[in-house]
Amino acid sequence: MIVFEHVGKRYGGRSEALADINFRVGRGEMLFLTGHSGAGKSSLLRLIMRLEKPSRGRVLVAGHDLDRFHLSQIPYYRRQIGVVFQDHQLLFDRSVFANVALPLEIQGVEPRESARRVRAALDKVGLLYRETALPIELSSGERQRIGIARAVVNKPSLLLADEPTGNLDPQLSADIMRLFEDFNRIGTTVMVASHDLALITRLRHRVLRLREGRLVGDEEAA
Amino acid sequence: MTRRTTSSESQRPARRGARASQVGLESRTRAWLRHHRAMWLDSAQRLAKRPLSSLLTMLAIAIALVLPSGLWLALDSARLLDAELDESATVTVYLDTRLDERAAMDVAARLRDQTPVAGARLVTAAEGLAEFQQGVGLEDALASLEDNPLPAAVVVTPADTDPDAVRVLASNLEAVDGVDEARVDLAWLERLRRLAELGQRLALALAGLFGLGVLLVVGNTIRLAVESRRQEIEVVTLIGATHAFVRRPFLYSGAWYGLGGGVLAIVLLVLGGIGCQRRSPPWPRVTGHTSRCRD
Repeated sequence: MIVFEHVGKRYGGRSEALADINFRVGRGEMLFLTGHSGAGKSSLLRLIMRLEKPSRGRVLVAGHDLDRFHLSQIPYYRRQIGVVFQDHQLLFDRSVFANVALPLEIQGVEPRESARRVRAALDKVGLLYRETALPIELSSGERQRIGIARAVVNKPSLLLADEPTGNLDPQLSADIMRLFEDFNRIGTTVMVASHDLALITRLRHRVLRLREGRLVGDEEAA
Repeated sequence: MTRRTTSSESQRPARRGARASQVGLESRTRAWLRHHRAMWLDSAQRLAKRPLSSLLTMLAIAIALVLPSGLWLALDSARLLDAELDESATVTVYLDTRLDERAAMDVAARLRDQTPVAGARLVTAAEGLAEFQQGVGLEDALASLEDNPLPAAVVVTPADTDPDAVRVLASNLEAVDGVDEARVDLAWLERLRRLAELGQRLALALAGLFGLGVLLVVGNTIRLAVESRRQEIEVVTLIGATHAFVRRPFLYSGAWYGLGGGVLAIVLLVLGGIGCQRRSPPWPRVTGHTSRCRD
């Protein structure tokens, strides 16, 4: 699903954010990406989302060399990836329902079909009863779950999450991780960047360890 | 190994993959129209939500449109722009007072045959006097005169209204037998023409300047709107919105501002037009024929 070949990323004149990264992720796999802040987790995810191009090497996702995309193709590529952000990135001027419906609106899904899928996604994260609420009325754990609902509403084959439990207490974090595992169980490839080592070790999935832009560990699931 | 072969490989994104191909062109077009309709409404609602600032922007646009078009309309109603000006470029040829009416007609016919003349109208001495009395209101004084002091005149319309050509024509006409004097009041004509030209240029320059102003006003307003919705733009871009999708609501708001400003400008111009008509009398028409008293 994801292939990194000798990938390096350098921002301006600074030292390398990523250096000679090599790994493969199979379809339907679930894995964690860990390391201290600044180790390059976010840079790596940004490369997969094609927000940036690598300075060196190749990134392939689902068989596509991301370097070869024409600018106009990138939006269509991104629609195949669900992304969960640390700060959830919900839009505060519209309801929970409208937030989750956003990816479908962008893809031009019929309103009736869209409503059905939005409700299914909200139901999956256990917040169907909150569909008319505004994001401001929700707790941070609820917001994060809405963010996840939005990421999975168009059934992406790849789900990326950047510190999805960064601001949550251990109980809520475990709930969120369980959600990711559920999506993984139905075939979605899931990649979660997190520095919550205690949680990661408990969950027994493959872990990629980054330190100062280098891949220093690739531990298979126990 | 051209670009062609590489792009035909299976390296392209699966934008027409399993799910997308089910969607089909027809429903994609429908989705596109649906989004247009939604953004058309959404942008209107956003403007309506802040009526004062929307109105101020539209007013700024309206005023920028009213100034040059108002000037243009003023010039137009002063008849400086239409063909009237050219018609007024006539040469008045005064005939010898000793000629009787028949001879005057002969001269008029001869003048009509001159090459650059478009038309020639004879004004006999009697007609001239009548016109003069009407125009000046000196009936009593003129009635006390024994003889008609006015010469017969021929109003000649030149084919070419260029001031230089008219001047040449006048001197040619003076050489014709029985012609006493050919008079063309070019100085004021030229002054008027220059004034009209100046006004026209001023209106154009103002139109250009204020047109630029309208662009800046709308551009700046949209820029602020983009700034205030930056987060939204970032989010929708991250989840696969195309540039067209992101731009659409802003293009529609711009169109609304433009439409509102245009309608306001028309309203202001109509109101201004009504106000002007009530206050000032209609402009006097310019005529080329000037009677002249001799002796």
